Amino acid sequence: MLESVIINSRQHVGLQKVSALAGRFRSSIGPIKNNKFIQDEVSGESVLVCSCFRIIENLEPTCAVGQLVYETIQAHHKGYRSGSGCLLFLAGAWSRTALDCLQRGIAVTHIIKAMSAGIDICLDVCKKSSVSFKDIAVMHKRTATPQDLGLQLSEEAITDASQEAANVHDKCLNMSGHRRVKLSRHFCEAKSEMLSSALLPDLLELPDVAVLAESLSHGCEDAMKLAVEAVQMLSKMNQQDISDPSFDISKVQTCVLPGLPEDCACVVEGCVFLLSDEQARVAHRIKQQPLKVALVTGDLSQTYRHLGFKSLSGVGVCEHLDLSASSKEDEWLEKVVNRLLNLKVNLILTAGLASQKVIQHCCRHHILVVEKVNSSVLRIIASSTGAVPVSYATQLAEPCVGNGINVEIWRDLSSYERESSTAVNISNGRNGGLVTAVITSCIHGKLQALEDQFWACAYRLHHALKDRALLPGAGGTEVLCVHQLQKQAEYHRVEDSKTGSAANLYRGLVLQLMADGLIDYISAVMVSTGRFSAAEARTIVSKQLQDFHKDEIIAGKFLQLILESRREDAVFSAGKPDEALTVKIYDNLSVKQEAWRKALDLVFLVLQTDAEIITGTGQRTEENLMRL
Amino acid sequence: MKLNSLLLMSRLVKKSPSVCTDLPLSSSDVCNKLHLMKEFLRSSYGPTARLKQVHNNIGGSVVTSSTSCVLLQAIASSQPIISLIRSSILNHVSRFSDCGLFAAVFCLSLLEQAGQCGLRKNVMIKVNKHLLALCTGYLQQEDCGCKVKLDFCSSQSLITLARSVISSKPTCVLTQPESDHISRLAVQAFLLTVPCNIPDTVRLGRTVTITIEGHSVLKSAVFPGLLLSMPENLCFDSLCSPLLVVLFSISLAGDLSEIGDGRIEMHQGVDVDSQILDQLLELGKQVLKDGVKLFLCQKVIHPVLQHYLRCNGVIVIERLGVSLMEPLIQLTGAQPVATLHATIPSTVYGKVHNVCIRQFGSKTMLHLHPAGETGICSMILCHRNETMLNELKLVCQTTEHVLRLTLREPFALLGGGCTETHLAAYVRHKSKNEVSESTSVLGCSQTEYLLAAEAFCHSLELVATSLEHDGGTSLIDLTHAHHWTLPSDVTEEHLEGVIAPCGCGVVESCQNKTRSYLDTKYAGFSPAPLLTASPLQATVLDSFTAKVNALGVAVETANLVLDVRYVIQDVN
Repeated sequence: MLESVIINSRQHVGLQKVSALAGRFRSSIGPIKNNKFIQDEVSGESVLVCSCFRIIENLEPTCAVGQLVYETIQAHHKGYRSGSGCLLFLAGAWSRTALDCLQRGIAVTHIIKAMSAGIDICLDVCKKSSVSFKDIAVMHKRTATPQDLGLQLSEEAITDASQEAANVHDKCLNMSGHRRVKLSRHFCEAKSEMLSSALLPDLLELPDVAVLAESLSHGCEDAMKLAVEAVQMLSKMNQQDISDPSFDISKVQTCVLPGLPEDCACVVEGCVFLLSDEQARVAHRIKQQPLKVALVTGDLSQTYRHLGFKSLSGVGVCEHLDLSASSKEDEWLEKVVNRLLNLKVNLILTAGLASQKVIQHCCRHHILVVEKVNSSVLRIIASSTGAVPVSYATQLAEPCVGNGINVEIWRDLSSYERESSTAVNISNGRNGGLVTAVITSCIHGKLQALEDQFWACAYRLHHALKDRALLPGAGGTEVLCVHQLQKQAEYHRVEDSKTGSAANLYRGLVLQLMADGLIDYISAVMVSTGRFSAAEARTIVSKQLQDFHKDEIIAGKFLQLILESRREDAVFSAGKPDEALTVKIYDNLSVKQEAWRKALDLVFLVLQTDAEIITGTGQRTEENLMRL
Repeated sequence: MKLNSLLLMSRLVKKSPSVCTDLPLSSSDVCNKLHLMKEFLRSSYGPTARLKQVHNNIGGSVVTSSTSCVLLQAIASSQPIISLIRSSILNHVSRFSDCGLFAAVFCLSLLEQAGQCGLRKNVMIKVNKHLLALCTGYLQQEDCGCKVKLDFCSSQSLITLARSVISSKPTCVLTQPESDHISRLAVQAFLLTVPCNIPDTVRLGRTVTITIEGHSVLKSAVFPGLLLSMPENLCFDSLCSPLLVVLFSISLAGDLSEIGDGRIEMHQGVDVDSQILDQLLELGKQVLKDGVKLFLCQKVIHPVLQHYLRCNGVIVIERLGVSLMEPLIQLTGAQPVATLHATIPSTVYGKVHNVCIRQFGSKTMLHLHPAGETGICSMILCHRNETMLNELKLVCQTTEHVLRLTLREPFALLGGGCTETHLAAYVRHKSKNEVSESTSVLGCSQTEYLLAAEAFCHSLELVATSLEHDGGTSLIDLTHAHHWTLPSDVTEEHLEGVIAPCGCGVVESCQNKTRSYLDTKYAGFSPAPLLTASPLQATVLDSFTAKVNALGVAVETANLVLDVRYVIQDVN
C-alpha cells in the first residue's frame, strides 16, 4: 500500500507512513465521496468501496503503523460509524506537524506537551461553540417564520432568542407562584402572559428530529430520510417521552434486498427477513395469525454443541452394530419436530444456522425456520413475547415459548431475482419495539455503501440526541479552532520575546503548525466537493480567517462567520446549491471530539516509537533489519 | 572451532554436529548483538522513552510498549548469551515487577565496559562482586544518602512512589491530573488489600483489574469487593443477605474433557451426553435445595443447567477464568468444587453480603460485596484506546507489586537517576580510599582494581543518562551527587536560571553547587547526605526492594556471562 511513497529514512519513518497512508484518503473525506474500486491482484476480485473505513478494511495493512491506524479506525467506527475520514486525515496532518517539529529540532517531550495543549484548545472551542438543542429549535423557528426568511441570523438574534427561551422557561417554572413573575426584569406581567401563551408550546419544544437530520445528513439525504423514519417510528411505537428523545440503535436492524430499485428503500415496523421459496410457502400458510415462537441461540442441528463443549476423540463403541450417523440425526429431528408440534410452535428464530434438512422437515409440518437472526433482535423479541432463548431445540418447554407474534408477507421479490424469494415481516404487532431499514439497490456492489450510509446517519442522530448539542458544521468549528490556535500561538510568541524562554517559543510554533493541519483539512473537504481548486479553497479559508481576526473584538460576529462559511460551502449538501442555502449544516459534537482525540493519540504513539520488533516466523527481507 | 572431526568416524551421522564457540564475548558478532540489545533497551528507559512496536508483520495485532516484560518476551535470539541475559532479567521481573530495564541496561553496560577496559575476566568478576557488596551494604545502612524511609502515617510518599512507576511508561499518554488520579487509585487499592485487624498470619488481599476502553482515564475507579462481567439480560429479584455461593473449578459443559486423554469403551446405545446432563441437573437440584443463590463456574456451564438454575432464581455466571478464582475464594470463603460425581458438602459454600449491578460504559458488571473484611478490591481502568489501556494495566499491576514490597522494607530510593549517580560517586570515592585493602583481599593490582571500579561506576551512570532521550546532557552536582539534566536547547549561561531541581526533586538548584558533566572525569568526593529537614520532598521515588535486587541480578548475570568460556549449540 505504501510502496509508491518515498520515505525519507533520515526522518521519522512511522510518522511519514501515517502521513502517506492518510494522503491516500484525501479524496474520500467530506460529504461528497468518490467510489473506489479495490482489486485483489491475486484472486482478481474487486470491491466497490466508498467510506474511509471500508477502504482501509479492504486494504488490510500489514505493516505495524498501518495496523495501528486500522485498529484505531476500527475502534472509532465501532462506536460512531462516521468520522473515520476526519480521524485519518487529521492523523496524517498532525503527523506532518510532528515531523515538521522534529525537523526544527524540537524535543519529542516538548512536541507532545504543546500538541496536548493544542488539542485542549480545540476541544474547548468545541465545547464553547456547541449549539444546544434549545438554540437550534429557536433558530429554526426564526428562520421558518416568513418575515425572517432569507435573513442571516446574527449572534444577537440567537442570544435574544435564547434569552427569550430562558425567560419563558423561568416563567414556566414560576407558573404556580404568580408573584415572582413581577420580579422579572424582562417582562411586565400583562405582556408576559401574552407571550407565554404564544411562545410556550413552541419554544420549549426540542428541535424536530427532521430538522436535526437535515443539518446532519452531510450529503446522504436518502439514507438520512430512512434514519429519521426509524427514529420517528420507534418513538411512536414505544410511546417515548417527547421531552426526552433518544434513539436506541439496538432496536434497529437492516435488511438488504438486492434487485429492487433504490427508491424502494424504506423503514418497516418489525423485522424483515428474506426467505426461500419453500419457507415462503409456509409463511403464506401461517400469515396473519398470532403464532407461538421459539428462540434458539445455537444452530438447529443434531451435531451442534454449545461453545466450550469439547467432544471426545477417543470414544470406541463396543458391539458395533450397523447404525449410521444419519439415523441418529433422524431420531433427533423427529424428537425436535414432535416437541415443536406438542408446544404448537409455528415459528423458530435461530441466531445460528439450520441445516437444509431441518428446514425442509419443519416446512412439512408448517413450522417456519428463520436463520441468522441478530442476537440483539432475538433478545428484544424475547422480552416482548415472553419467550426464553434456549441453546438447544431439545431444551424447549412450555415456559420458553413466546406468544403473539405475527408473520406477514412483506413483499414478493420473485420478479426481481433469478432465485425467487420472499421478504416476510415478523412483528408482534403491539410494542415489539423493533424497526427494520430495508436497503435496496439494483447494483449489488452498492449495497454495502448504502447500508453504511444508513448506519452513519442513524448513529449521527443517535449521538446528536445523546449529546443534546451540535457543532457548527461545514468547517465552521475547524475555522474557530484555527483562529483560537493561531491566537494562542501569537500569545506564546509575544510572551517568549519578553521572557526569553524557549519552551513558549516551541508552543507557539507547534500550535501554529497544528492550525495549519486543520486548515489543510478544511480546504481538502472543500476541494473534494469538486467546486474549488486547492488554491481557491486555501484562499477562501485564509480570507475568512483574516476577516475573523479583524472582527474578532466584536464577539457577536462569532457565529456570523460560520453562517457565512456555510453559504460558501453550501456545496457540501451535494447538488442543489439553491436549496442548500437555507439549510444549516451541523456536525456531531462527540463524534468530532473523539475523532480528533483519537487522531492525536495515534500521532503520539507513533511519534514516540523508534523501533519495531518483528516476532514470529513471518520472514521478510527488509532494509534496516537487525537481528538479535 | 568445530568439533565435527571427533564425531565423524566410520559411521554416517545424520545429525549436524554441534557448534562450539570459544570465548563468545570476544566474538564481534556477539558484541554487536549485545550492543544492539543495550541501545534498544536503553532507548526504552524512563518517562520520556521511545516506544517499541511489537508485531508479527503479517497483520497480527500491534503491541506498543516500553515495559521490560513486553520487550524482553518479544525478542528472541539464536545467541545463547542473549537468551541467558533475557531470561535472567525476566525472572527478576516476574518476582519484583519493577526495575527490569534498569537491570538489563546495567548488566549489558557492565559487559560492554568489561570488553573495553581489557582486563582479565576473573578480575572483573571479583571486583564486580566486591563492589556489589559495597553498594548493597551502603544501601542497607541507616545513613544511606539516596534512601528515604517511607512514612505510612501519610499517603503522600506512597502516592509519589506509585506516580513514579505510573509515569515511567509514556505509552500510557497520561496528563498530569490523570497520572495523579491513577496514582491515588493505586494507593487506595493497595490500602484496601491490607487487612485492618492483624490476625496471627497476615494475608494480603488482591486487586482485580478490569479494563474499559473508550473512556477518559479520570473515570477509572476502585471498589471494594469484586466486579464480574455479567451475562446478558440477567435480572434478579431482591435477594436477602447474605447470599450462599457455590464455586466450581471444573467444566460443567457436559462433556468429558476433564477426564484426560485415553480411549473410552462404551456400550452401543449409551447416550453419554444426556447421562452427563442428568448428572448436572442432579447437581443443580442439590444446590437449589441447599439455598444457593449465586452459582459461579471457572469454565463453561451447560446451557440446560444454566437455564434450569436461572428459572429457579439463581444468578449463574460462567467462564470466570482462572485468574478470578483465587480472589473469589478469598472474597466468598467458598471452596472450589472440582467434581460433579459426589454430593456437595455444605462446608464448601461461601457467602457474599450482597450483589448489585453496575454499569460502566457498555459493560455491565455484577458487584459482589464481601460479607466481612476480605481485602479484595476491583480496579476499573479506563483509557481512550486499547494500546494505552494495555500499558496502563501493566503499569498498575507493577505499581501494586511495588507498593506491596514496601511492607517488607519500608524504604524507597531516590528516583530520576539520582540513586545511580549517588551510588557511583560513593563507590568511586570508597574504592579510591580503600584501594590497598581491597586489592590485597581480591588479589589484583591497584590499576586493575581502579579500572574495574571505573567501569562499574560508569555503567551505573550510564543508566542515569539513559533517562534522557531528547539530546539533553546529564550532570552531577559535586555536593550530593544527584543527577541533573540539561535540556539540549538551553545554553550554558542560562544553566543556573533555567535548570529545574535534580532528577528526584530533593535538591534545589542554587548557585553554590558546582556541577560536572557525567561523562567527564570529576575529582572523587564523598557525597554529602541530605539534611533530614530537607526543604523539598522527593518527587520521584523508586522501589527499594526491586532496585536492590535488580542491582544484584545485573551484576551476577554479567559475572555469569563473563565467566562463559565456550558456547556449545546443537544446531539440529
